[in-house]
Amino acid sequence: MTPGPDEATTAERLRAQIAAQFGRSLHIRTLDTGSCAVCEQEIRLLSAPHYDLHRLGFFFTPAPRHADLLLVAGPMVRAFEVAARKAYEAMPGPKVVVATGACALGGVYQADPFMHGEVEAVLPVDVWIPGCPPSPLALLHGLSVAVGRLAEKVPGLAFVADENGGGA
Amino acid sequence: MPLWFARGLRRGVVTTRYPARPDGSAVALPTPPAFRPLLLTREIVDRMIAQCPGTALSRAADTLVFDVGSCTACGRCARVAPHAVTPSGEFELAATTRSALIKMVPILGERR
Repeated sequence: MTPGPDEATTAERLRAQIAAQFGRSLHIRTLDTGSCAVCEQEIRLLSAPHYDLHRLGFFFTPAPRHADLLLVAGPMVRAFEVAARKAYEAMPGPKVVVATGACALGGVYQADPFMHGEVEAVLPVDVWIPGCPPSPLALLHGLSVAVGRLAEKVPGLAFVADENGGGA
Repeated sequence: MPLWFARGLRRGVVTTRYPARPDGSAVALPTPPAFRPLLLTREIVDRMIAQCPGTALSRAADTLVFDVGSCTACGRCARVAPHAVTPSGEFELAATTRSALIKMVPILGERR
């Protein structure tokens, strides 16, 4: 279905609204849903001088009440489900959920009595950041994609190399 | 108060745009594989799938289904078939749809 003129205008207005609300400064609450803590290690590195995420207007906040973005790592163990839902519900809207790392994306653990195996089973995910762990550079790119400052690259990649080598 | 800090506060966003320049440390990062379709056979692909520790690789007839989101860039598939698999060099892989991370790689080695 192609969007009609009304829907296109609405989409444009929404985009402008999101850019106005999220484009300048964004507060991030991280959530560890049973990860091995290497994703957290990389997230922590974002505050280090080399990556310095504060220069981009991103800040970490300890309370979901103050957060615009929920950065979720880990395979969503069932013991954490209630806490994850509460954290999401406590956030004021508009809010963004970012799944971080291969576990959160469902690549490492299967759903079993102990874990859901992916974040999407519990929270509505808006941006997926692959990697095991995603490097701080990948996280910076993902956060920029989440607020619409950078375009996502992955739809254009085929992961096919030519005969002589070379990239995706 | 440093000038750059005051400027950043006033404009609300940044003192530098991201990325200001490509980061030199990025070349050392492990990255998901890229495949050479002409060198892939069903037999090689099945061996790679057996070695994959997660659910990143699967096969549908003559297509290798590669889920980039599930890939941990461990390099085991590259160890199975070093000639057919090479690091892609891509690490900025964030996507706004999960399906954008699922890639279809044709298996063309059977025709030779």
